[in-house]
Amino acid sequence: MPLDPTVLEREFPEFEFNVERGKIREFAMALGLKDPVHFDVEAARAAGYDDLLAPPTFTRQFWHENDENDPMPHLGYDPKRRLHGEQEFEYHKPLVAGMSLRGRNVIVSNREKEGRRGGKMIFVVIETRFVDEGGELVQVARRTLIETAAPPKESE
Amino acid sequence: MAQSVSYAKWDELTEGAEREITMGPLTRTDFVRFAGANGDFNPNHHDDTYAVSSGFPTSFAQGMLQGGYVGKILSEWVGPGALRTFRIRFSTQAWPGDMVICKAMVVRRYEEDGERRVEIEAEAVNQDGASLIKAHATAAPRG
Repeated sequence: MPLDPTVLEREFPEFEFNVERGKIREFAMALGLKDPVHFDVEAARAAGYDDLLAPPTFTRQFWHENDENDPMPHLGYDPKRRLHGEQEFEYHKPLVAGMSLRGRNVIVSNREKEGRRGGKMIFVVIETRFVDEGGELVQVARRTLIETAAPPKESE
Repeated sequence: MAQSVSYAKWDELTEGAEREITMGPLTRTDFVRFAGANGDFNPNHHDDTYAVSSGFPTSFAQGMLQGGYVGKILSEWVGPGALRTFRIRFSTQAWPGDMVICKAMVVRRYEEDGERRVEIEAEAVNQDGASLIKAHATAAPRG
C-alpha cells in the first residue's frame, strides 16, 4: 500500500491499563520467571516495592486484534505481511500491582525501505507513553512493525 | 512456588561479565500460555491450520515470548527494578521443539542521572546457533 502521510497526525483514543496481581503472576509464570517479587506480596515489599512487581515486558500497547486502540487496522496494512520487527521500553518508575495506567498510541514514524530481496518494505513505529494516576510517566513503549514486500514465509 | 533469586553485585558486573540460560524445548502449550498472559492471539501462534494457510510450516512462538525470556535473564541478573531501557530486535521465528539459549554480556559501565549503570548486549539463539533475537539494555544495579 502507499504511504499515507496523514497517519503521523492521527490521534487514537486513550486507553486504561490496570495492573493486577493475578495477571502479573500469570505473565511471570508464562516466561519461567522465578523471582518472588512477581509472585509473593511480602517478598515484593521486602524488596522495596509497594506490591507485586511487573516483569520488564509486561505492558501492552494494544489488545490484539482489531482493537480500537490498535492503529494498524486503520492504516490498511496486510496482516499476513506484517512482522513485529522491534520492541523497545524505557522505564521511568517501577510498575506494580494496583497501579492504573493510561496510555495513548501515537505513530512516530512511517517509512519505506527497499527490501534486501527486492520490493518495498514499510516500517511503522508506534509509541505509547504510559502515565500513572498522578500523571507521572511510568514507561514508554515503542513497537516497530514491518510490512514485508511479500508474505513473510516467501521472504525468508 | 518461586524460589529466591540473588542478583549480581555492581563489582561483579564488570565489562565482559556474562550470563546464560537455556529455555525450551518450546511447546505449543508455551505459546498458548503466553497468549493468555499477554493477549497476543494471532492465530499463527496457536492454530497450525491457519499458520500453514499463511505460508508457515507450523505455528511458531510470539516474538515477545523470546523477548520475555531475555527480559527474565536480565531482571534475574541485575535485579528486577534495575532496567532503565530494553530494546529487542526480532530476527527469526522459533518453532515448537526449539531451544532458546539466552546470553547476556556487560559491555560498558558508566554513570548517568547520578546512578551507576551498565550497558548490556544480549542475544537469544536456537539449538543450531541461529539468532532469534538481539537485545540491548541499560540498567542501574542496586547492589
